[in-house]
Amino acid sequence: MKGEVVMNPTERIIRTFEGKSVDRVPTFCAGIEDRTFNEVLGKPLVPNQLLMQNRLAEGIFDRWGPQLCRYIFQPNVTITMAKRIQAAYELGFDSTWGIYDETFTVTDSKTMARFSGSIFNLEPDGYGNMTYMYRCPGITSREEFENWPYWPDIDEVAHRTYMFYRKMMARYGEKMCIMGQGAAYGIQESLQWAIGFERVPLWIRREKDLIDRYIAMCEELCMKTAIALLDAGVKIILQTDDFAFKSGPFMRPKQIDELFGPSYRRIINAVHACGGKFVLHSCGDNTMLFDTFISWGVDGLHAYEPTSNVDIYKEKKLHGDMVTMIGGVGIDYLLTDRSSDEEVVSKVKELIAGLGPGGRFIIAPAHSISSIPAHKLRVMLDATQRYGAYPINIS
Amino acid sequence: MKGSIQEVRNAVVDLEIDEIRDLVRTCMEQGIQPFEIIEEGFSKGLEIVGERFENGEYFLADLIMAGEVIKEAMPLLQEKMNPADAARRGKVILATVEGDIHEIGKNIVGLILSANGYEVIDLGVDVSASRIIDTAKSTGARLVGLSALLSTMVGSIRNVVDAAADAGLKDSMQIVIGGACTSDELKREMGADAYGETAIDALKIFNALSDEMMRPS
Repeated sequence: MKGEVVMNPTERIIRTFEGKSVDRVPTFCAGIEDRTFNEVLGKPLVPNQLLMQNRLAEGIFDRWGPQLCRYIFQPNVTITMAKRIQAAYELGFDSTWGIYDETFTVTDSKTMARFSGSIFNLEPDGYGNMTYMYRCPGITSREEFENWPYWPDIDEVAHRTYMFYRKMMARYGEKMCIMGQGAAYGIQESLQWAIGFERVPLWIRREKDLIDRYIAMCEELCMKTAIALLDAGVKIILQTDDFAFKSGPFMRPKQIDELFGPSYRRIINAVHACGGKFVLHSCGDNTMLFDTFISWGVDGLHAYEPTSNVDIYKEKKLHGDMVTMIGGVGIDYLLTDRSSDEEVVSKVKELIAGLGPGGRFIIAPAHSISSIPAHKLRVMLDATQRYGAYPINIS
Repeated sequence: MKGSIQEVRNAVVDLEIDEIRDLVRTCMEQGIQPFEIIEEGFSKGLEIVGERFENGEYFLADLIMAGEVIKEAMPLLQEKMNPADAARRGKVILATVEGDIHEIGKNIVGLILSANGYEVIDLGVDVSASRIIDTAKSTGARLVGLSALLSTMVGSIRNVVDAAADAGLKDSMQIVIGGACTSDELKREMGADAYGETAIDALKIFNALSDEMMRPS
């Protein structure tokens, strides 16, 4: 097949999910964050850190943050999300993660509250941009759950999600395959962020009705935004939900299945019924969970973090014919300024040689691209072009 | 060991939070001293939970739940204990280092240490070296646990080590590090005294350090 057919990126990705032959190993990247997309697309005239971190702006945001959020912060984040997609396209990825994320409010110049119940710090990223970092749960009691002021209007979020992706699909069509996510982050991780990791086990025992209501709310949000994405022309839903740490799953796999499995099964069934595919991103060592995820019906799995204990080659043997594997390229060292280009090329060759045969593999950084030089991504993409053509022929 | 203490231990191991208070009350009615309930029931139970965690049978959520089980019954015992017994293993300062705001791991370690007889002084997140040293001076605590998730903030560990040296506390203070970006190698690089990968590691390390400190010289 080599040299005979050149597929468009979307075709390459979809065929990979379907286990069909493709011209070369496809590529994917999760969110390209500010430092890297500024490098690719050009820096803004005024860095947003400067816009937000001055006495005048801080005074205004402290006083009117929630009122201004809808008109300043949310549109700004949406522009950022669009830039992430554009940067992936400019770099030449076959596919990227798109997220539409206006489900938050800014309560003051340093604080962001997610509609799903968690509080984040607004912070500089060290490169002149603002970013956010988890601070604490927003809901620590039944009373706070009942009175949380920001629960989302799900139908409105779904509608806005549709509008965003319709624009993205009009812009990129099949030139790049957007794996889209709606406003909701994963059901499980949203729960952990909202009530606090340490509180989850106790609440599962003592406040089960609240846990059930929360999961139902997230399920509805994920379901409706997923359908909105598919209506907008997106073909693949990518849901992020970190079920594991470096040391393994947070909970027993059986408990994860009992709590979150029914919701995910319903969402995935709905996506399939609309002709879409479903990818789950989960960081950490998910080795004990892959069977569970596959039983939910996922079409693809993303991450396989090299820094966790996941053995991606063993997973290929165990599940490579049941699910499309996406990831494998580390961002902690390999794609940073500290590595050499040769190391990147060598790793790409190793991954293609080990995971390419048989298909159903998409090479990708294992996580969002924060503080990664664009050059390293180009090296990864070039190496994939050079060595990833089928049939794989790497000694 | 009396059967009722064995039941307390089993309740900790089986994460039976709804039964633990009654079981502890039964022990107390039988005249068993609070200290014995803590040692033989709680701590031994937690040891088994730790073993199950290490061999992959239990997960982080179970570890947290075991701490909650103990927390549930601890007030019953504290009413009958003198404060020295409640903090018999000594004081530990816990903090997420300056520049880092991640505290999940630190909180879990705090829960486990509290359940094991430590008085935990939790300074929270983004804590400066000077605040840690000031707290050590004012409370007399010489065990310090530092948590760091962000690799960009590991220098803050060094700041605490240096500040302890500047304050003349380096020889008496033991600094233990943990968190996603930490390692044994980083411990050596930063001049810390110990590194723990999990909450159970942290407990073992603090127990060893506490035993060492309490040993008559």
